[in-house]
Amino acid sequence: MSSHEAVAGTVPDQRLHPWSWLFVLLQQLRQFVVPLLALLVAGRRESGPWEYAEYAPLLGIVVLVAISVLQYFTYRYSVGADGISVRSGLLQRNLRQIPFARIHNVVLHQSLLHRIFGVAEVRLEAAGGRKPEAQMRVLGLSQALELERLVRDRGAAPATGAEAAPANPPLLSLSTAEVVRLGLVSNRGMIVFAAGFGLVWQVFPEKAVAGLLQEWFRSAVGYAGGMHLGWLAVATGALALAAVFVSVLRLLSVALALVQYHGFRLVEDQRRLTVERGLLARVRTSVAPRRIQAWHLEETLLHRWFGRRALRIDTAVGGQENDPRRLRELAPIATPEACDGLLRHLVPQLEWPPQWRPLPRRSWWRLFAASVPWNVLVAAVLCWHFGPWGLLALLWLPWSAYAARRQAGWMGYAVSSRQVAVRGGWWSRWWRLAEVDKIQALRLQRSPLDRWLGTASLLMDTAGAGAMSPPLRIRFLPEAEARELHARLGRMLATRQLRW
Amino acid sequence: MTESVTEFDPPTPPAVPATGRWQPLPRRGAVLYAGSAAVSVALPVTVAAAMIGPVLLDVPRWLPAAAAAVLGVLLGGSIGLLRHRRIGWRLDDDGFATRRGGLWRMETLVPVSRVQHLDLERGPLERRLGLATLVVHTAGTRMAAVRLPLLALEDAEVLRDRLARQVEAGDAL
Repeated sequence: MSSHEAVAGTVPDQRLHPWSWLFVLLQQLRQFVVPLLALLVAGRRESGPWEYAEYAPLLGIVVLVAISVLQYFTYRYSVGADGISVRSGLLQRNLRQIPFARIHNVVLHQSLLHRIFGVAEVRLEAAGGRKPEAQMRVLGLSQALELERLVRDRGAAPATGAEAAPANPPLLSLSTAEVVRLGLVSNRGMIVFAAGFGLVWQVFPEKAVAGLLQEWFRSAVGYAGGMHLGWLAVATGALALAAVFVSVLRLLSVALALVQYHGFRLVEDQRRLTVERGLLARVRTSVAPRRIQAWHLEETLLHRWFGRRALRIDTAVGGQENDPRRLRELAPIATPEACDGLLRHLVPQLEWPPQWRPLPRRSWWRLFAASVPWNVLVAAVLCWHFGPWGLLALLWLPWSAYAARRQAGWMGYAVSSRQVAVRGGWWSRWWRLAEVDKIQALRLQRSPLDRWLGTASLLMDTAGAGAMSPPLRIRFLPEAEARELHARLGRMLATRQLRW
Repeated sequence: MTESVTEFDPPTPPAVPATGRWQPLPRRGAVLYAGSAAVSVALPVTVAAAMIGPVLLDVPRWLPAAAAAVLGVLLGGSIGLLRHRRIGWRLDDDGFATRRGGLWRMETLVPVSRVQHLDLERGPLERRLGLATLVVHTAGTRMAAVRLPLLALEDAEVLRDRLARQVEAGDAL
């Protein structure tokens, strides 16, 4: 680690924006809003000797304001030649030095309120860890952009000539039509609906919600019954209802996509990739291409109908998986050619698309066999409830055999001395690509079936891989081939330095 | 990266017993491993038997529970003994490898250049038997920590020192 002087440099200390206390306060209020409300309610209900409890929430807010103002006065940072040092705290003082080399990601976040005040929240993120290395809540927008530039240029003073140079054209920008397409493809509406449903269930007493739902259902059934409709009409009505439900959800998805992805721009600026997006709240995140741990292409059925794909990346930055501020999507939606072009442009050292090696086609029945027990279980449960009609569920089996065959035909892998790539799926296709240098560990797995058939699967672990994305795993490899690959990759990795 | 590294005399490399071959764990840890496996099998089986037994058969609750506990301990213990026998480790130029599992087998390799840091953990029972658990941390996600339990203490220390020294040498590159 560098010495303090080198990191801190001679630049005078900088402070947060004068309004920062307000945003710190708002953040804290958000955390304490439930206890404060509880206090308020509890204070009101009690009478007599507990009257002072009514003032407790007020007192709490006063304390929070004091803390926020103090935080503003004690927080300062300075940018040196090698890194940034942050000083904070009044009683317990903190000095944190962050070398530029350790910063993986710079996030600028502007909510609607931030934009009204002309400020932004800045987060500097390093590899791993749950929290960002430094979080500046909040800086003036120009100050924030300057800090972002300093991190990108490693603290160098702005070159006088370069400033006037026109900005690079974006690698990708989404028009409104594309964003609408993104909304139609994605399932955001369903997630929001589920979350809302869960919230209603939690906030209101369980019985009341269940009772209300039953009431609705009964009145709907009663209404339908009152009209003396045939089963065909009932079925049509149910279908129409389902169609309305689905289209409302899709509309919600489109609205959400417009809010989150309006004005999406991917710009390459010297050493960093920057993504900007958002209608109300603007997010601006940037990452250096060499920090990208793995690449992930996705093509669902809806994507294919629209002739689009999504390009995602894994970064080693810690924090929550579904944090909307994380840079996960380089191209939320783009044509296959644009995605491939982007990949080739950003990692020219990799070969894309690679020479795919198919897996033995006969492995399809293993994919099929894995789905059979579930199908039988579902059929058994249905039989229990509805009698022999439940056996109809077994009609799914031929379809699942067909799907397994198609899937086995699509599965493939490609390993070279530079990269590892795996593809899979069928309805929903995916590709996963990582540089060999970014692989952290290898695992050879053999289930009893694998040992009987003389096959093995090879799992390669990379940093920052999401739990939801498919693993970098080659399945159903002949054992000798798997062992040879395992040994070859192991030897390659041992001699190569980990490059973050 | 311009990072200054303090130079000091490298310690003499500790000897690793028979590098490059799978090394078994010391047998004295088998009882511990089998014990924990027995408990983890017997506990749920006992609870399930105590709940289901009286419904299916006309017997007092304790009878099926006791029978299930005995069976669970025997089954879990024997599975534990077998699994313990299968656990092994290997250290060679490529890195540190572990293997485990009787039916579902897996071999995990952490290349030397990918070791982030190392932990040596010792519970009271492990201390009494002169054993230790080695945890190799990587930057990965699914294999962020590769654990090797019930190693002989001296092997664990040698492994830790060897890997730590290689990590240091790698960082200086």
